[in-house]
Amino acid sequence: MKKLKFSAILTYLFLILGAIIMVFPFFWMITGSFKTSQEVSVFPPQWLPKSLYFGNYKFAFETAPFARYFLNSVLVVISSVTVCTFTTILGSFAFSRLRFPGRSVIFGALLAMMMVPFEMLIITNYRTVVQWNIHDTLWALIIPFMSSIFYTYILKNFFDTVPDSLYQAARVDGCSDWKYLWRVMVPIAKPSLVTIILLNAIASWNSFLWPMLATSSATVRTLPFGLYNFVTEGGARNEVMMAAATIVVLPMLILFLFARKYIVNGVARGGLKG
Amino acid sequence: MEVRLENLTKHFGKTAAVENFSAVLDSGELTCLLGPSGCGKSTILNMLSGIIPVTSGKIWFDNRDVTDMEPADRGIGLVFQNYALYPHMSVMENIAFPLEIKNVAKDERKERAHEMAKLVHVDNFLDRKPGQLSGGQQQRVAIARALIKQPQLLLLDEPLSNLDARLRIEMREEIRRIQLETGVTSVFVTHDQEEAMSISDSIILMKLGVLQQEAQPQELYDEPVNEFVADFLGTPPINKVFGHIENGGIRIDSGPLCKLSGLENVKEGHKVHLSIRAESFLVNSSEPVMDARVVRVFVMGKEKLVYLKLGDFEVRAYIDSDTELKAGDRVQLGLRRKGVFVFDAETGERIR
Repeated sequence: MKKLKFSAILTYLFLILGAIIMVFPFFWMITGSFKTSQEVSVFPPQWLPKSLYFGNYKFAFETAPFARYFLNSVLVVISSVTVCTFTTILGSFAFSRLRFPGRSVIFGALLAMMMVPFEMLIITNYRTVVQWNIHDTLWALIIPFMSSIFYTYILKNFFDTVPDSLYQAARVDGCSDWKYLWRVMVPIAKPSLVTIILLNAIASWNSFLWPMLATSSATVRTLPFGLYNFVTEGGARNEVMMAAATIVVLPMLILFLFARKYIVNGVARGGLKG
Repeated sequence: MEVRLENLTKHFGKTAAVENFSAVLDSGELTCLLGPSGCGKSTILNMLSGIIPVTSGKIWFDNRDVTDMEPADRGIGLVFQNYALYPHMSVMENIAFPLEIKNVAKDERKERAHEMAKLVHVDNFLDRKPGQLSGGQQQRVAIARALIKQPQLLLLDEPLSNLDARLRIEMREEIRRIQLETGVTSVFVTHDQEEAMSISDSIILMKLGVLQQEAQPQELYDEPVNEFVADFLGTPPINKVFGHIENGGIRIDSGPLCKLSGLENVKEGHKVHLSIRAESFLVNSSEPVMDARVVRVFVMGKEKLVYLKLGDFEVRAYIDSDTELKAGDRVQLGLRRKGVFVFDAETGERIR
């Protein structure tokens, strides 16, 4: 009994320690964003600001078009994730349920292409985008991400676990493939789908390398690249950087808090990383 | 609706799953497709439903040739071994789903689903999800869903195999009740001979894609056409001894001569298999046909199970519980007229 209690205390100590390590940077970032420049630079460091000072946010929004960046980010995430989810559903269903010649060959080829790292694709993608004359527009940030082999693969694996008899039962009742997909398969796959959507949204929101290459004007910048730009151009004022970083991170942080269950489930199920 | 199968054949690649299968399923009756796994019974069911196409042959529903018809156009209901309920829909939605596809108005859908739920006794669980029901209740829902379109033909593919023993007996009685109440022509696939015997009007016994015998349950048990049919039916399995014809009787290998009548036309020395049901032995009969030695005796209460040594073979016999017997006794054995069959050792055909 005593031993059990001791091990429980130890476990919680570790967990608390881990939590502090994980949470501290966020804590420092958010509190820092509300501090005045004197408060930031005092020694020894001050934990909390004396009062909530919004000047840093004001400064950030005034010197760089963060509102514009934010809107761009939201537009890109919503449109690319929506279209990608749609194509993922259709592709998974085709590869999982429909019988057509070359099915396994095509799927095998797609999986092989998944092995090509994204950094390799960037050059060819860039050339394509330039050829189509959509570089330095939001389209360049959306179109290349309208489908995903990886998510198709994940969803197909889930679709494969749905017993064939459900499909046959629906067919005997006169249910079309289209209706079966949306009325039966998609609702059953809801947990998987939510995970896919969340992971995709987070990846899209955080993407940095591609927007940096494909866009140059401030009007089509997304938040992460905007932040980078702001830091390099605006000089190193810590408290302002903290405010800008908070603007970038906050939406995803809120999303994560609400959808934590699905993200953890998805990662645990597929052993996949975001 | 009468269902006729004419020379139905199904090949998967080079293997023949069903070979030249012809049968007539009478209107309003429940017919069992019975046989060991891999005998093609489920293949026939899937051809009836249209889920798999036929290689050759024809399927007739009354005067309609449905051989190449889409499953949805055949007017059938299908019940699966694993229930195949939609896990995200409530019981109500599951039952009403076939009507939803047919764009039946919502009120009518609800009303008919209620009716069906009542018929199969799940009207207390309409708001639950399938996951919250027991196996038996799930199968009831599946039957309701299959029947709501008022199909002409109900197909049941091993519907009781996933249930535990007690539920299985309850559900087979339920299926029979529902079938009789609705009068729908039904095909029931199973590998369980007891299930088939108790539930059906008619049984089709199959082996390796070939029909062996189509008959009423009692007739199948009493008059098997070949050794496979005799072996397949009955608990405990039918006793088998090998021998050859001698002086119009059967000489059991290293055992007694069994004086049976009706074998006069069989060639002397012809090898035969003698199959005797456990309940067909008469101990110390006034008309003995052979003698045997008692090996073991088990008291079962209403009767005794006796193991007898017949030449190289041991056979099981049910005898009256009043008969006093112990191991080592020699008994004069008689045989009843029923439950005793002689089969050709080579072909397995019945010798009458």
